[in-house]
Amino acid sequence: MYERHILICAGTGCISSGTREVKQALEKELTKHNLQDKVRIILSGCHGFCEKGPIFIVYPEDIFYCEVKADDIPELVEEYLVKGNIVERLLYKDPATSATVTSHEEIPFYSKQKRQVLRNCGVIDPENIDEYIIRGGYQGLKNALNMEPREIINTVKRSGLRGRGGAGFPTGMKWEFAYHSPGEKKYVVCNADEGDPGAFMDRSVLEGDPHAVLEGLAIAGRAIGSDEAYIYVRAEYPLAVRRLRTAIAQAEEYGLLGDNILNSGINFKINIKEGAGAFVCGEETALLASIEGERGMPRPRPPFPAVKGLWGKPTCINNVETLANIPLILRHGADWYNAVGTEGSKGTKIFALTGKVNNTGLCEVPMGITLREIVFDIGGGIRGGKNYKAVQIGGPSGGCIPESLLDLPVDFDSLTAAGAMMGSGGMVVMDEDTCMVDLARYFLSFTQRESCGKCTPCREGTKRMLEILERITRGKGEPEDIPRLEKLAKVVKDSSLCGLGQTAPNPVLTTMRYFRDEYEAHIFDRRCPAGLCRDLLRYYIDSEVCTGCRACTKVCPAEAISGEKKEPHTIDEAKCISCGACFDRCKFGAVKKK
Amino acid sequence: MERFIDPCCEECFNSKDNPCEQFIDCCLSGPLCHKSEACAAKRKAIIAKLAHSPGYLKG
Repeated sequence: MYERHILICAGTGCISSGTREVKQALEKELTKHNLQDKVRIILSGCHGFCEKGPIFIVYPEDIFYCEVKADDIPELVEEYLVKGNIVERLLYKDPATSATVTSHEEIPFYSKQKRQVLRNCGVIDPENIDEYIIRGGYQGLKNALNMEPREIINTVKRSGLRGRGGAGFPTGMKWEFAYHSPGEKKYVVCNADEGDPGAFMDRSVLEGDPHAVLEGLAIAGRAIGSDEAYIYVRAEYPLAVRRLRTAIAQAEEYGLLGDNILNSGINFKINIKEGAGAFVCGEETALLASIEGERGMPRPRPPFPAVKGLWGKPTCINNVETLANIPLILRHGADWYNAVGTEGSKGTKIFALTGKVNNTGLCEVPMGITLREIVFDIGGGIRGGKNYKAVQIGGPSGGCIPESLLDLPVDFDSLTAAGAMMGSGGMVVMDEDTCMVDLARYFLSFTQRESCGKCTPCREGTKRMLEILERITRGKGEPEDIPRLEKLAKVVKDSSLCGLGQTAPNPVLTTMRYFRDEYEAHIFDRRCPAGLCRDLLRYYIDSEVCTGCRACTKVCPAEAISGEKKEPHTIDEAKCISCGACFDRCKFGAVKKK
Repeated sequence: MERFIDPCCEECFNSKDNPCEQFIDCCLSGPLCHKSEACAAKRKAIIAKLAHSPGYLKG
């Protein structure tokens, strides 16, 4: 029996921050103090608070240490494990009060979260199936095997679960279509491609609780009458792939996958297919083509995959997070599940909170929580005390939500009405220094690059839109560019073959809807209000502040700055190339942007 | 019995060729096919070894 258990977050984020070194140092120190048989080390999944990683939690006391480095371990072991003295400097400190807290439950980042899908992430060893079983794992599958398929589908329909991959299609309805499609051979597919830049919701579930996804797949298979599944996971997630393979092997050993599961007569096999780095393969028909060994390109629908999918067979495709919800629904019931959320959006949603917030990381919140609560209560507000400007939800397919809509409830329908979309859960927060035109350009450059090229509206339309945006950010925008962009966006949205093209204009459309003044400033005033677009920037020296130290003249590559020593200097705009070197160099803040 | 898949005693017939439909419930509440304090203790020992806090067992 262990006296203590130490959970060290081993999500990809904390591994990058040094978890492996922390573990090695801990093993060494425990051996040194002869504690190796009394203290269990667990490399857990993502605990969510990536900003403060590596996370190091000691149980049973539930002491939450953060930003732990390998060099801290000797002190932690000596002072806390041996002597029982809490190491205060490694505790979380509330930025408002400077008070330290010992338990993660007292940390504001966690207080408004409802970790259902992430219930095991950061709590168990994801490579130990026994831990998953102890915490209720495979109870859902056991229940499903004792239900008729129609009963399972009705339960999922009653739960109100909607797809978490972006479109929000009712999951029970999708299963029902596949169930009713004729054919002896059917497939279930897990979309684990997660191509949105900065999104890591699915990665965290796959790394931290892979059995939840396997169980969800097996239940889906029972519901629609399928005996085989594919998990299409991006190859850029090697840890997730490894954990999935380990979990599948364990589930097969335990008879929870394979033939005659729990003596039910039901067989179910799960295969892994690694993606090859194409964003478009997150689109379901392109994904299926990729599994088939074809080039990842979307196909016209109808027929929809539920009718004719993988190798022409009825196929049900669900996102990772969607599938991870299923065991909970089958274990606790539809009423339990739909007690959380709003009328049209039940349950919880995981968001990858990134950008200009103090607390970046992974959070799971009940549907219906406001954006303000996510950004300011969970996210801890804007870094550096700057002003909130917008939040981009849904990645390159999503839209921006301005300050005026901060109290919008986060659910499928409210976000769609605001011109954005839930998307898969990427949430990028922006402050006053973000140029919204440049942001639209950035997201469009991504989707344009990832366009598969099959249909003209996406292939050519996004390219033309990008050219216009690049011209605007370089100070060469024309008055007709705004109506041009709007018209092109509509054509691309309405006539593209798949979701990539249909949603690529969203960042442009929402920034034009809520930040039209920035577009107009770029075009008519040749000015970037955020002071970001280099070609629209002009630097000048404030003569009231300048001390004439000449530091700026030494770094100016264009010899555009002149002035006598100890006299205010000036910048020759004709020579200035707007590189910003003088701005970065001036210690007195005398160099300003306009 | 180090893991739940290991048989608790000779009474346990669960295997790939002859799976037990009660396996999942048996992991936590077993043994279910026979009475044995010793076998029950083996399961409790697995759980006790892994459960790191009161909240852990609430799932």
